[in-house]
Amino acid sequence: MSNNTPTSADETSLGYEIHPLSGAAVLPGASLSAPLSAEISAAFSASPDGEVAVRSLDLRIPLLEKNDILAERNRGYFLGRGLSALNLVSSPGAGKTTLLERTLDDFALQTRCAVLVGDLETDNDGNRLRRPHVPVAQITTGTVCHLDAGMVARAAQSIDLGGVRILFIENVGNLVCPASFDLGEQVRVVLLSSTEGEDKPLKYPPIFKSAHLVLLTKIDLADALGFKREIAIQNIRRMAPQARIIELSARSGKGLQEWYSFLRGLAPAN
Amino acid sequence: MHELGIMESALGLVQRCAAERNARRVERVVLRIGTLSGVDPDSLRFAFEVVSRGTSAEGADLDIESVPATAYCKGCQEEFTATAADFVLRCPNCSVLCGDVRRGREIELSRLEFT
Ligand SMILES: Nc1nc2c(ncn2[C@@H]2O[C@H](COP(=O)(O)OP(=O)(O)O)[C@@H](O)[C@H]2O)c(=O)[nH]1
Ligand SMILES: [Mg+2]
Ligand SMILES: [Zn+2]
Repeated sequence: MSNNTPTSADETSLGYEIHPLSGAAVLPGASLSAPLSAEISAAFSASPDGEVAVRSLDLRIPLLEKNDILAERNRGYFLGRGLSALNLVSSPGAGKTTLLERTLDDFALQTRCAVLVGDLETDNDGNRLRRPHVPVAQITTGTVCHLDAGMVARAAQSIDLGGVRILFIENVGNLVCPASFDLGEQVRVVLLSSTEGEDKPLKYPPIFKSAHLVLLTKIDLADALGFKREIAIQNIRRMAPQARIIELSARSGKGLQEWYSFLRGLAPAN
Repeated sequence: MHELGIMESALGLVQRCAAERNARRVERVVLRIGTLSGVDPDSLRFAFEVVSRGTSAEGADLDIESVPATAYCKGCQEEFTATAADFVLRCPNCSVLCGDVRRGREIELSRLEFT
């Protein structure tokens, strides 16, 4: 390439950019139409002295656009069926499956629930969750460290959602990658267990900032572990001021009524 | 991690745009990545090297523009941009913690330069 070729890199402060080849003002986010671009390309791809001009193309394309479109489709589908979908995210072992087991045995007796459960390799969680009154689909992601909207759409179609009011989606155990992938859920639930330390919310800003509800789990262990609940809650409030917080234990049952009444608030009366 | 998949789709778009315009070589790829996107710029750079190998974008410069977190304060009816690196979004005006994030989640292919 030649050295002194023009680009539009420095023009952004104007609020628009001067296209280096056409001289046209281009709004950030806009791109030249293909035919115009091709014309320019023919005219400028090689100058008479053999130098090749650098062309610049503004795109502004969201890279997760496909996922986002599928997620919106899921959201519309869920809403249309009158069900609320919850995306449960946490580190491995924070207690997602245990809480769901308990919830299916209590809450789901009154309100019809279904579960989609993601896991890297095994179908253990799916087996733990299977109940005669609960449709469950296992999503084995292989090496993929998060669920995406396409996986959720396929899994949701594989089960009978008739009469279902609450759809739980247990994400792959991971506090990083799931933050970027909208599944089309109405509620994003982040679980933090008392075994993980009080400062975890400060270490994973994206996922906590996207949470509607934070569950502080295994609260029965807090005292034995010297877990400082007030500090953990303060950290959650700092990182996720938008989120509701519920402390609970699937083991002792503490806080479960609050969790169930949250769920009841989501489930439209049938 | 998921940066590899994101870079694969970026490169797919880059190659399509470049091919449609009869590009010979991609010289520069510019991404806009929000600090709250959950995507790690270093992992993206690594992924770019891997996925661009043997393509028209091999050896191209990868610029990653960072988009800072911006939140909206309901009380002040104003947006503000995070200053501290800790992502605690406290309104500089009224000191209230704000959870209404307006910018900082971008994962975008912003611009291409090619010959
Ligand atoms: N003490 C206690 N242990 C729990 C509680 N919830 C889950 N566990 C344990 O934590 C471990 C991981 O739980 P699991 O539900 O599989 O976590 P997941 O990976 O988030 O699905 C299991 O050994 C559970 O028995 C709780 O409320 N109290
Ligand atoms: Mg589990
Ligand atoms: Zn304010």
